[in-house]
Amino acid sequence: MLVASLLAGCSGGDGRTVITFFQFKPEAQQYFQDLARQFERANPGIRVVVDNPADPETALRTRLVKNDVPDVMTLNANGTFGEFASAKIFRDFSSDPVLDHVNPAYLKVIGALGSGGKGEVNGVPFAANASGLLYNEDLFAKYHVAVPRTFDELIAAAEKFKKAGITPFYGMLADAWTAQSPLAPLSSQLQPGDFFQQRFADRTTFAQGWRSTASELAQLYRYTQPDPLSKGYEDGTAAFAKGQSAMLLLGSYAVPQIRASKPKFTIGSMALPATNDPARTTLVSGVDVVITAARHGAHQREVSRFIDFLMQPKVMTAYCKAQVAIPTLQGLRNDDPALKGVQGYINAGKIVGFTDHQFIAAIPLAPLLQTFLLSGNESRFLSDLDSDWDKVAQRRTWGLGAVTS
Amino acid sequence: MTATNLPASDADVTTTIPDAKAGRRRSATRLPRTFYLMVLPALVLFIVFHTVPVIQGVYYSFTDSPGYGPSNLVGFRNYIALFTDPRVLHAYWFTFLIAGVATILVNIVSLAIAVGLNAKIKFKTTLRGVYFIPNVLAILVVGYIFNYLFSNSLPALGSKLGIDFLSTSLLTKASTAWIAIVILAVWQSAAFNIIIYIAGLQTVPQDIYEAAAIDGASPWRRFRDITFPMIAGFFTINMVLSLKGFLQIFDHIVALTGGGPGTDTESVALLIYKGGFQGGEYGYQSANAVVFFIVIVVFSIVQLRFLQRREMSI
Repeated sequence: MLVASLLAGCSGGDGRTVITFFQFKPEAQQYFQDLARQFERANPGIRVVVDNPADPETALRTRLVKNDVPDVMTLNANGTFGEFASAKIFRDFSSDPVLDHVNPAYLKVIGALGSGGKGEVNGVPFAANASGLLYNEDLFAKYHVAVPRTFDELIAAAEKFKKAGITPFYGMLADAWTAQSPLAPLSSQLQPGDFFQQRFADRTTFAQGWRSTASELAQLYRYTQPDPLSKGYEDGTAAFAKGQSAMLLLGSYAVPQIRASKPKFTIGSMALPATNDPARTTLVSGVDVVITAARHGAHQREVSRFIDFLMQPKVMTAYCKAQVAIPTLQGLRNDDPALKGVQGYINAGKIVGFTDHQFIAAIPLAPLLQTFLLSGNESRFLSDLDSDWDKVAQRRTWGLGAVTS
Repeated sequence: MTATNLPASDADVTTTIPDAKAGRRRSATRLPRTFYLMVLPALVLFIVFHTVPVIQGVYYSFTDSPGYGPSNLVGFRNYIALFTDPRVLHAYWFTFLIAGVATILVNIVSLAIAVGLNAKIKFKTTLRGVYFIPNVLAILVVGYIFNYLFSNSLPALGSKLGIDFLSTSLLTKASTAWIAIVILAVWQSAAFNIIIYIAGLQTVPQDIYEAAAIDGASPWRRFRDITFPMIAGFFTINMVLSLKGFLQIFDHIVALTGGGPGTDTESVALLIYKGGFQGGEYGYQSANAVVFFIVIVVFSIVQLRFLQRREMSI
């Protein structure tokens, strides 16, 4: 068996069709590597070359500059995905039977980011995440803190931990993007429902629609450890795992990273309440991993076979279990305890997409947030956001979000 | 001269020139062809890998291209937008600040060390080797070590000694992060400048010093009136090269701050990379790159002209 696979490895390159698989998720490198090997064993005529670049979005952009689109890709379904989809880089899956059993809510989430044309679906949702906040169940029990259901209760809980000498939220501003994690649930609950449509049409401003979001975000960051700028994502997840902080303003995607430091407590999760009406709380959930293919790739048939292989219920369930993700196929679920607190929102369909995915990458949202949370200057933040948005909109003729007025 | 004289002199000229030309051509056919052949490969490589990409970049600067896919020509819109973009203007200001301070510091430091290493001291050769090491190390690697020192070691030392200024990381405040960047830049690039200065110091004839010593000139006087003027050419080269290098500062910032906090420590080169490749504004940042190219050329020419006037020789 081993000899056979070695021989197959040697003869690779002459007879087999080679497809490149661009894999963005650093946490799942080994996982997809193994899946590719399994697929090769089942399909002896195909060789899958897995490419795991650091800084995947930049790497993909530079490949696009060279017109070298990978055959298959996994990507995070964010603003950049929408931009590429609008630029007609990805294949249209709308008539592909692989989408038949995918939860339509997630097709809507990726469709809202942008597509190559009307009615096109430019990716296959593979795994979803839930972005609320994570908490240490033991610390909550020890200090008799109930899971907060309103924003005031959340602040009261933070106050209680602070008095007890425990960092309520661990600040990880060295990685500026971490501030976007609480931004998404706060803004989606506090902004007017059609805020981004209006913003794209230039009929509203962040100063009008996001003021309460900014002030609540600043309130949360008053409860971090001192000097939050010197610590990053890895420091934060490690500190949380050690029980140094009661809550972490991150989503379910951070759970594998936290578990890598072997915490001695159960990680709980909840939706981040932004208002004082529990009925208005929604859960931010996006497509963490979307599988897509080159629009004009040379090996369409082989690529479809590989995507079908990845989308098997068995493969998806195992992946979601390992990565604490939410499966996107109808009828599948993940019973991980770290998802228990948000499962109710998923079942009830109280799900909204990431608002920060509406920002194209040219707008420096993360650095602006970082500056804001250090200085606390709310008006400056909102006016900077507006002026950057307007400047980019002015000098760009296309690709500014999926929403057209 | 009269009109009748002209044809005669014309005839004279025409009769003498063909001879000279023919003679020159005979020798010219052999030698220059060899020279051309020697230059040609380098010229082809230069054009293919340098000139063509530059022209492409200039072309992209007039488009709205994100770097891939179709794009449209937009005229000078990118250039106009550049001058009203506070992020771009701040990057220029920041780059000039870093380049100015670092150029001056690196030349003071490396000249001082070079004078020391040129004197009759023990372990001279070993020390010269040691001082050259920073130049061999990759900036990114050293940068991450400095990052650790600035964000962990220095604050620990600062709080132990009770120095408030140092007890938080230098890198986390816009007002101090640039100092850390300058320190790394000077530390790293002094090595190369020291070598050039040592080479320069060895060209100064010893007998001038002897004569000066007999005249009773103090060491400072000898440095000011002999050493410095004699190595002015090396000073010019070092100033021009370091200013040009620091204007393109990139790795130092990537390793230390990544442009943060916020966008406060973004240099022009970093902004071009971030906006062009990560932000998908390839055309816009190409325009920025063209402007920056012109700025660097102008700076270098002006500096060269100004400093060369001060040079002297014996």
